[in-house]
Amino acid sequence: MALMKPTLLIVDDHAAFRSLARRLLTAGGFEVVGEAADGHAAIAAVPQLRPDVVLLDIQLPDIDGFDVAARLRDGEAEPVVVLISTRDRADYGPRVERCGARGFIPKDELSAAAIRSLLGATG
Amino acid sequence: MNPRLRLALALAALAGGLVNLALLLLTDHGRSEPLVYLLLAILGVSWSFVAAGLVAWSRRPRNRTGALMVAVGLAFALNGLRLVDTPLGFTLWFLVATLPAAVLAHLIAVFPDGHPTTRLQRVFIAANYAATVPLALVQLLLVEPAQLDCDICPDGLLGIGGARPYGDAVLAVVGLIDVALGLLLLWILVARWRGASRPRRRILAPVALVGMVLAVLYAIRAALLAVVSRPAPLDVGFDLAILTLLMLWPLGFLAGLARIRLDRSAVGDLAIQLSETQPPGRLEQALARALHDPTLKLVYWLPDRHAFVDAAGRQVELPAAAGDRAVTIVRHGDTPVAAMVHDPALDDDPELVRAVAATAQMTIENERLQAEVRAQLEEVRASRARIVEFGDAERRRVERNLHDGAQQRLVNLSLALGIARSQVGTGSDEELAAALDEAATELRRVLTELRELARGIHPVILTEAGLGPALASLAERSSVPVAVAAVPPDRLPPRVEETAYYVASEALANATKHAGATAVTISARRLDGELLVEVSDDGVGGANPEGSGLRGLADRVAALDGCLRVDSPAGAGTRITAELPCAW
Repeated sequence: MALMKPTLLIVDDHAAFRSLARRLLTAGGFEVVGEAADGHAAIAAVPQLRPDVVLLDIQLPDIDGFDVAARLRDGEAEPVVVLISTRDRADYGPRVERCGARGFIPKDELSAAAIRSLLGATG
Repeated sequence: MNPRLRLALALAALAGGLVNLALLLLTDHGRSEPLVYLLLAILGVSWSFVAAGLVAWSRRPRNRTGALMVAVGLAFALNGLRLVDTPLGFTLWFLVATLPAAVLAHLIAVFPDGHPTTRLQRVFIAANYAATVPLALVQLLLVEPAQLDCDICPDGLLGIGGARPYGDAVLAVVGLIDVALGLLLLWILVARWRGASRPRRRILAPVALVGMVLAVLYAIRAALLAVVSRPAPLDVGFDLAILTLLMLWPLGFLAGLARIRLDRSAVGDLAIQLSETQPPGRLEQALARALHDPTLKLVYWLPDRHAFVDAAGRQVELPAAAGDRAVTIVRHGDTPVAAMVHDPALDDDPELVRAVAATAQMTIENERLQAEVRAQLEEVRASRARIVEFGDAERRRVERNLHDGAQQRLVNLSLALGIARSQVGTGSDEELAAALDEAATELRRVLTELRELARGIHPVILTEAGLGPALASLAERSSVPVAVAAVPPDRLPPRVEETAYYVASEALANATKHAGATAVTISARRLDGELLVEVSDDGVGGANPEGSGLRGLADRVAALDGCLRVDSPAGAGTRITAELPCAW
């Protein structure tokens, strides 16, 4: 990770948000390898793109982020999942911990540093 | 029934009987003693049927049973023709001799309706009458007069002519026809009894019993006549037994009428019962008892709704007109008040049904009003529940719109600011950097406030994770320490969870804002099919249950058929308790 930029997949149904997040995180030292607009597209993309991090919105149009995280945990790739939402973490209760995600970042607090701090939390 | 007609029929029966008696006394042609007894018995049967028939006719003018009984009695009087010892008298008697039995069989077959109700009954009645005069005519033509009626018979009018070789065969066929008719009548009676309901059997019982014995006796006699050639003593014995039973048969019918009079006393019992206070639904039981119909249902007419409802106020459809249930509408003047849905057998005694309905009319009217109020309450309750449900759905929609709309746009703005800030290098334009930082901070505040607002409109955690996590989250965000003492382990119906949450959040808001509490305890426990939500604080107490917040909460709880209690003595804290049924 020290030599290569960590790769990242952005999963969110708002195109404007994906675009802004891509610019923000690319500037912050991440390599954004893909985007997905819903849960099923994300699950399909992960084995192909094998990102180090999946930035995963909780409120998706098909299945919610918790389900996507749980399915990714059971898959081969096992990327680090970081949940994001316009809402607060307190709005979702214990499901955030149970789904297997590394952590939660409110969308307005999203930054490369915030993700790095989660990645660094367990190594 | 017209009194003149009644008098005329009674006089006809009396005259017929007297003519018979006169013939008996004035003529003496060496008749055997049994024949005298037979004629006296026939006279008794005639008068007995006419008398009972007139009573039945006047009691139930629309039912032809009474008329048929009178017809049986008058037909029996025709037997006197047998005493006229002339060829004409004998011929006339022989032609009509089987008519009394035929009318009687008709009466038995259609009792108590007075008219045939099945195809089998119609076939029987037609065959029954075809076997009277026409068959007698055939016998007169084809059988020797001596074979027709033993020693006392003169030659009939038609008894002139040559030899009649088919006499025995004709008599055997006549005997077989009698057996077949007897068995068919028995079949009709058995089928009718088996298919009869309890009230109908009460009416059938006294008559059906005698009718069945008679049918058996007729069948046996006819069978004997077909096998053994005219066993005179046995024949007379059968006739006497049958006639004795026939004399008793109208008495049995009168006994049935007496039973109906006993039912009138049941109407009296009903009146006494109705004078006592009855809980809803008991009136229906009382009417069912008085009419001996345990299946009876009482429904009430609601003019506003143009519909019938039961005692609990639930709408009920009346059964179709030609179905296996009958309907009697109870009216007050011309206005329908209620309807009794009952066994169609009760239509046989419309007077009793009317008497019961009239006796219970006031109580029925009272219960109808109560049912109307209950129906209105049910409607109000349902409408209140719908209003709360609609309100909750609207709250969810508004929260979702905020989340997908304004909040998302502000988040995008925040990211854009972050990108802009990252592109302003350190030290290149400090003023711009500071302005961007300030804008970002302000935006974060706006988003935080917007989140609080959205959460107040609808807490997403409640739908996402359930009541337990929602209460825990409420406690975490509270400015005073909150202990969540108990939460239900499983998810509950959404409306129950939402109401429980709003009880807790409103009580917590009161404790924080108005009561100056320093500690609050929330518990939500399942107890006997209810969710018991308790919120207690150590504040100043004195909360006003009629204040808008608590009043609204009480309404929301009542919409779920629950109840809210506020215990808030001044200076001793506040305890708010909500009991919520979990059946929603």
